[in-house]
Amino acid sequence: MAIRSDQGIVLRGYPFGESHRVVVLLSPNHGKLRTVAKGVRKTKSRFGGRLEPMTHVDIVLYEGKELDTVTQVSVINGFPNIRNDLDRVLAAGTMIEVVDAVIQEDDPSLRMFLLLQRGLSVLDDAQPHPALVTAFLLKAADIVGVAPAFDTCSGCGRTDNLRRFNFAAGGSVCEECRSPGSYSLRAGVVEYLASVAAADITDLPNTDESMSKEALGITKRFMEYHLERQLKTLAVPNV
Amino acid sequence: MFEPPIQRLIDELARLPGVGRKSAQRIAFHLLNAEQADAQRLADAISEMRSSVRLCNRCYNVTADQECSICSDLRRDTTVVCVVERAQDIPVLERTQSFRGRYHVLGGAVNPIAGIHEENLRIKELVDRVELEGIKEVIAATNPTLEGDTTAMMISRRLKPLGVTVTRLASGLPVGGDLDYADEVTLGRALTGRQEL
Repeated sequence: MAIRSDQGIVLRGYPFGESHRVVVLLSPNHGKLRTVAKGVRKTKSRFGGRLEPMTHVDIVLYEGKELDTVTQVSVINGFPNIRNDLDRVLAAGTMIEVVDAVIQEDDPSLRMFLLLQRGLSVLDDAQPHPALVTAFLLKAADIVGVAPAFDTCSGCGRTDNLRRFNFAAGGSVCEECRSPGSYSLRAGVVEYLASVAAADITDLPNTDESMSKEALGITKRFMEYHLERQLKTLAVPNV
Repeated sequence: MFEPPIQRLIDELARLPGVGRKSAQRIAFHLLNAEQADAQRLADAISEMRSSVRLCNRCYNVTADQECSICSDLRRDTTVVCVVERAQDIPVLERTQSFRGRYHVLGGAVNPIAGIHEENLRIKELVDRVELEGIKEVIAATNPTLEGDTTAMMISRRLKPLGVTVTRLASGLPVGGDLDYADEVTLGRALTGRQEL
């Protein structure tokens, strides 16, 4: 048994025993980490609010047989503005849920860690851009290798006449390649999604509200299809 | 394996939260060696609790009557309601002797990642109470966790349009604690919520 240092962003936690909590973090070095924080639910716990979800922390861990025990925590960034705004909390919750679903234990992904860190920082700095969650989902899909194709037909590779979207095929499809389960999208949605996927999350393209909602809806359904689970935090109507 | 009647009790006790097989075995043998009347009292208490306890019609606290003792107490202030996550939180707040209003038990906290949304809690029932009972202040006494804070914000968003004052329990340093050991989040909130002397 050894003591080691790491850092991570707290994804979630759940009660364990009388006053402990299992804290799940995303570490840049170890992927998802399941740790136990002893006595953290007591009001006089020395960890206090440092292990709340959406907190970027430096931690010292005592390695255990199954779960590592947290012995020290210091906050790198608590993203305080997210916590005080319901819309930001819900957006951050979607980011956390997706990361939690795609990253496994002992499966380090520095790109995913940096994406989550930047996503939370952008949310903390200002009111969320309407396309921020859509952009986050598309970039997360890219990191895990399921990025949807927007510019070319997923079936034949042609670049024109892309009016449909197919989750199983992996993105846009032309009229000739359309198969059952292909959705017809309103004009401009695919182009908008392509521009969101290519943009930096601090400089996202603007559009009208209905286009933004449709783009989020289609991205949500795409992620749910490939994750094989529902995104519980996203309350947008399915397309 | 023990004789079936003892083993059955051990199995049932081991299903309780925080009770492992070894503890279940110890409790079972304690009951076996106890007076018959003592064991019967425990059995009666469990049976009576299950058959008679229900939720209060007004606040959803646990009670043996239509309304809990707090809701039916005419000396309580009916214009102030303290919203808690669980019925177990009510005795904790009552011990402070600082609150003379009524309560409302939500039945949990919003946790979208775990699939617990606003509609899974008794927030609509709270809105109905505010509209019907002339409540002037609602105190969100949910836990100072991300889920508790999110729930408090949702309550505020639902109730503010009705013209009711929504307040939140203060967060800060525990009495008797040492500033050295305070975490940044708690200390930050204590600074934000500081009071003039």
